[in-house]
Order: sequence, then structure tokens, then C-alpha cells
Amino acid sequence: MTIFHFFNCAILTFGPHAVYYSATPLSEYDTLGTSIKAALVYLGTALVKLVCLATFLKVSETDNFDPYQELLKALIGFIDVAGLYFALTQLTHRNISQNHKFQAVGLGWAFADSVLHRLAPLWVGARGLEFTWDYILQGLEANANLVLSISLAALGSLMWLRKNKPKTLIPIIYACAVIVATMPSITSYLRRGLGWHFPKVVGFELFTSLVMAFISWQLFAACQRPSS
Amino acid sequence: MAQKNPPDREMLESMYSMLALVFILVACVELCDAATVVDVYRLIQYDISGVPFGSRLASLNHHAGSLHFSPGADLSRTVVMIPVRELNISFVKEYIYRNQPLGGLLFLLPEMFRLENESGGGSSSEVQEIQLIKNVLLELERLLIHAKVPYPVYFAFENDEIDAVLNDVKKNDATGQPATATTGGYKLVVSTAEAKKVASPTITNIQVPMQFFFVLFIKIKGWLQGLRAEGDANQLPTIAIVASYDTFGAAPALSAGSDSNGSGVVALLEIARLFSRLYSNPKTRGSYNLLFGLTSGGPYNYNGTHKWLRSFDQRLRESIDYAICLNSVGSWNNELLIHVSKPPENAYIKQIFEGFSSVAEALGFKVGLKHKKINISNPRVAWEHEQFSRLRVTAATLSELSVAPELLESTGGLLDSRHFVDETAIIRSVKLVAESLGRHIYGYQGKNINIFADNSSLAVNPSYVRSWLDLLSRTPRVAPFLSKNDPFIMALQKELADHTDEVNVQHEVLDGMFTFYDSIRARLNIYQVASVTFDLLLLLALGSYLIVLFSFLVITTRGLDDLISLFRRPPSRKVKTA
Repeated sequence: MTIFHFFNCAILTFGPHAVYYSATPLSEYDTLGTSIKAALVYLGTALVKLVCLATFLKVSETDNFDPYQELLKALIGFIDVAGLYFALTQLTHRNISQNHKFQAVGLGWAFADSVLHRLAPLWVGARGLEFTWDYILQGLEANANLVLSISLAALGSLMWLRKNKPKTLIPIIYACAVIVATMPSITSYLRRGLGWHFPKVVGFELFTSLVMAFISWQLFAACQRPSS
Repeated sequence: MAQKNPPDREMLESMYSMLALVFILVACVELCDAATVVDVYRLIQYDISGVPFGSRLASLNHHAGSLHFSPGADLSRTVVMIPVRELNISFVKEYIYRNQPLGGLLFLLPEMFRLENESGGGSSSEVQEIQLIKNVLLELERLLIHAKVPYPVYFAFENDEIDAVLNDVKKNDATGQPATATTGGYKLVVSTAEAKKVASPTITNIQVPMQFFFVLFIKIKGWLQGLRAEGDANQLPTIAIVASYDTFGAAPALSAGSDSNGSGVVALLEIARLFSRLYSNPKTRGSYNLLFGLTSGGPYNYNGTHKWLRSFDQRLRESIDYAICLNSVGSWNNELLIHVSKPPENAYIKQIFEGFSSVAEALGFKVGLKHKKINISNPRVAWEHEQFSRLRVTAATLSELSVAPELLESTGGLLDSRHFVDETAIIRSVKLVAESLGRHIYGYQGKNINIFADNSSLAVNPSYVRSWLDLLSRTPRVAPFLSKNDPFIMALQKELADHTDEVNVQHEVLDGMFTFYDSIRARLNIYQVASVTFDLLLLLALGSYLIVLFSFLVITTRGLDDLISLFRRPPSRKVKTA
């Protein structure tokens, strides 16, 4: 029964990535290589982030929300953006369209994040006899994260790869990118600063991820128009 | 694309093998993240001459249930949690006598029975509450000890967490949903190896090769030598004061036996202390030797006393004038009984009884005499003095019990806790015994002289009595589970060594009639589990979610026609993916 539960949670956590890959034209253009490269870049970024966190952050004994520490954490979080920039611009991709490139990078990014952060707790926790909602919620969080990663990659591709975009949209794009990039800090604030419970936080994440996805989609479409 | 594929595949394969390695490593880690972990104490498991008694299983892995189960429900895979406050003895009787299948039993004892807090926990109202159900509890313990229970039976203490679990279980049961694999609920898990016979490996030095199993018997005796009048102290008559210190109860890890026979041990220690003050000074040394004996094996027909007496040499045995055995002297009000096996007309018995009753009169209570003949052919030895009497040594047992207890009864079970023992009763018993012995030793019979008067330097020390009683009340002392070098035995030994000239510790082997099994305490994990039905529903929901997501993505990125074409031409799709 517990293995069953583990499989359920694993499907919820990793299923959407696979579905996304197979349902969108990504599979037709065989962009798996790009996704894997993005995942490797994510691994490198995570390592750098860990080193930074270990160097600059104090270990807090309490679970309190410390604004200074959190600010530092948010700044370190921007290393993610740097990694994404590297993945989008510096990696030699086979000539796939920008459209597919950012999706592939976002997908690889989100998948690596899920594997790194959620697989081990899932394996250890969901197989135990004890039942909690945590792992189902964690799976939902992974879905939100997928959407956010793809949104961020889309915004990044707009920022760094597209040259002829409407001038009026540029501030909006940057603002959205900052919001999406600071999402981990925002959720951390909600959880620890305001003391929200896990289900509420996950609901918030799902909601904002959908909103951000919608906004970035609209922005992407708006930038697409003049070029086409 | 074709060039790209082989390295990709290679990389994937190496990743798979690495993943597999990680998985194997992680799978080896044992999981222990239960919602609640509590200490539990197992019902004793033992054999008498090969006939099994007690709980025959130790490991437990079943769903929790309560007494509010729907009638006719199958409980063979359910652990029934029963708080003893609302114990329904007829249910237990029915299930045990009719051999009905159960997954297990978990009795929840009130917090005040915890051995560690013999003084703190338990308000007077709680104690009164327990007094009300005392008979039921006694009956339960007797029932469990003398029955063969083919499933695990555990005792635990009530606390907030376990109460919350119990309330949830009751709620579930009330709605007519017995906890099973399909409906979820709580799962109680005790993962322990099956109980093994208690065998003491050190005993192999003792040359009893045919012994079937070995249990250490430890007796501690102390000597107070009397005045060496002319030459050898061994020629002086001896008075023995004896108490058995070990216990037996439904849960061996909880059998501290404050009254039976912790009170007797405390009284003995205090009497030894008092006389040691007199005997340390040659001027006040009496013309009797005093022999103090703490014996083990009390619940098993005083087997330890038997072995101890057999080990005496003839001269010593003949020198014993009489022996006073102390048994359960901690909770009486105004009458103590002297149990003897010789007829009351016997001159020695008369002398002892008159000595005691005159002192008792001065102290303001009564002493009764009770005669019970020994049936030599009956192996049952109900009183410790009967072991002496069988060897023709005059002996009597001082006790508050009015009738001889049956085998394995009144031996310090669950209910015999500190709350029901009155230390003033012990103090009065000490006064009685010490005073009558003193008058006998110094030849003041019939005179109203207080040797151990209050406020004198020889007064009974209440704090000494209390501290030893507290120690005994939190030390479970079931002999098979007390090791040779148990701290408790060392403490007794050291205490007596302070008072007496020499202390002999004697290790013996219990006669082969009894076999005991270990794993008397364990840890119970309580898990909240989801049902298989829930997981099935979750799987369905997730499947439909993924299908909807797939269709949504296909429609938005490729259009509806593409989605329809996926279903219309499956063969071509297969070729493509292959």
C-alpha cells in the first residue's frame, strides 16, 4: 500500500514534466538534449548556490523569519537567474526555434529541481506507514514550480534573446521576471514570516504560477506579433 | 539526430545505474517516522512444567480498534485498545476463555501507575477512582496471568497523544467503520523479535549439566553476631528475620510490588539498621545471633528460601531459635496476623505470639494468630515460614493478608503501587517486630520497656523507610529479569554491608518447573495510515489530471485536430515512437 502511495506521489511530482514533453512539439523536434543540458546547468547552479548559502548564511536555530538573512537568501537566489541566462544564451543548441528552446530549458530546469529537492524526501517519506498529505502537496508544488520555471525561461528568452521587442513592454517583462525569480523567497516569507500552513502556501503557489504563466504567455504573444 | 543519439543513450544508461545505486542505498535505511512512539510493557510469557501461559507473541502489526466495535465484527486483525478505567471485564473474559481471535490487546493504564512518578503523579481523587475499579483490575491481572493468550498483549500508559489516537479510533468505530486495510485509521506496530527463553549464559560454570534452563537466584543475608560469651558465637541461639524481595505480575517490567513484598524488605532493612546500632557496641550486644535474609523466588513457592535453608549446615539450622518472615506489611489498619503452621498450643508459638501481642497492645493495635497446617504432599508453599517449618525450624510469617495466597497471587502485580502503601503501617510493623525481638533478646518479656522509643537514638527513622520504599516502588523485581549484578541487588547488598558483619550473596538456579521468556518491554509505533481505497481514488484523480493536461497542451500548442488525429491513427504513432 505504501509503495502504491509512493507511486501516486511520484506520478504527481514527475508526471507533468513527461506529459509536457510528449504533448507539446518538444517531442517532435527531439529537444531532449537541450533539456538535459539545462538540467546539468541547474545542477551546477545548485552547487554554486549551496556554496554561497553555506558561506554567507548563518544557521538559524529557530524557525523565525529573519529579514536580513532572507534578503541575502533572495540575492543568492538570483544565481538561478544567472544559471538560466547561461543555459539560454551560452549553450550551443541545435538550431531549434526560440519558441522551443525556452520550453526545453524550462522543462529541464524544473525537472532537475524536482529530482534534486523532492525525490529523496518522497522516497524516504511516502513509503513509510504513516500517512500525511505532505507528499501530495509537495507534488502539487512541483507542478507549480514547473509552470514557474517555464514562465521564467520564457521571460528570460524575451529579455536576452529577442532583440526587436516593443519598448513599452520591457519594464513589464523585467518586473515579471523579478517577481518570478523571487518566488522562493516570497513563499518562504509566507510560510515562516506569516506562519501560513503548507496547504495554503501550495495553493498560493499554484495560483500565482498560473497567473504568471498567463502574463508571460501574453507578453510572449505580444512580442511575437511585430516580428511576424 | 542519428549522431546525437548514442552518446545520449549512454549518458542515460549511466544515469540509470547511478539512480539505481542511490535507490538501493536509500532503501536500506530503515524508516521510523511514526506519529507517536510510546513505551509498552508486554504481558508476561512463561511456562509451568511445559504448559504455556501468558501472551505467546511479541510482535504486533495491526489496525487499532476500540471497545465500541460493531457487533459481529471480525477482530482477528485488530488490536483492541482498552483503557482500564472503562474496562469491560466480561469482554476480555469472553475473548480469552472462548479463544476468540484477536489481533492483540493494548491496555492503557492511568498515568499514576508509572513507576517513575510514585510520589508526584496521581492526585487523591485519582487514587480513589482506582480504588473503585481495584477489584476489576485484580481480576483482569489474575485472568491474564493464568490464561494462555495466543496474541500479543501490551500495557501502556495514558498520555495526550495516545488519548487523541483512542478518541479518533472510537469515533471511527462509532460510525460503524471498523479499521481495516480498506478504510484507513491507525496502525499499531511493535517490531520486535519473538521472545526467547530466558537463559543465563554465566551460569554454565555451575555444575548442573542436566538443567533445562537457568535462572539466577540471589539471596542476600546479613549476620549480626551476638555477644561472644564464651568462645564461639556459633553456639549462641539465632533469630532469623527473612523477607523475600522479588515480584511477579502481569507486566514484569511494571511489577514493583510496593506492598508485596517491598514493605517487608523495607521493614527488614530498618530492623537491621536498628539492631546494628545495638550490636555495634559490645555493651549492648544481645546474647542472640541475628540472621537477616532477603530471599528471591518468593512467587515460586519460596524456592529461593528452600535452597537457602538447604545450604545451611546442620549446626546453624539447629541453632535457629525461630524465624520471623515479613510479608506484605504496608497497608493495614489495626490488625496484623501471625501465620504459623504449628498448632497455637505449641510452647514456642505461644511465646512468640504473646511477645508480639503485648507489644502490639502497647502500640495500640491487635495481632492475630492464624494456623494453617502444611500438607507435605502438596507442592504449593503459601507462606515463607512453611519452608522453615518443613525443616522443623520454628517460624512465623507476619502479614496483613488473612488467607494464604494462591500460586502467583499477591506477589506485587500491577496494582501493587506506591499509592496504596502506607508508610506509617510499615513503621508500626517495624516497631512491633523490633520491640518484641528486643524484649526477647534482652529478657524483658512482659515488661513495659520501650527499647526503640520514639525520639530516642534508637527510634525508627521515617525518612529512611520512605526512601527505601520509594526506591523499591520504582524497581521492577521479577527474578528472571534481574541480572546477577543488577544495580538494585548491589544496592541492597551495600546497604546490608553497612549494618552487618558479613554479607553473603548466593546465586542459585530456579527449579526447572518455570520457564520465562524475555522481551518484557518494547516500543510501540502508532502510524496514521491511509486506505487502499484512498490511494486508488488518488490514482484515478491523478490519471485524469494528466490526461486533461495532455489534451490541454496538445490543443493549445498543436490544435484540436492534432489531438484527434492521435486517436485516429494509432498505428502510425506507434511506428513513429518506435
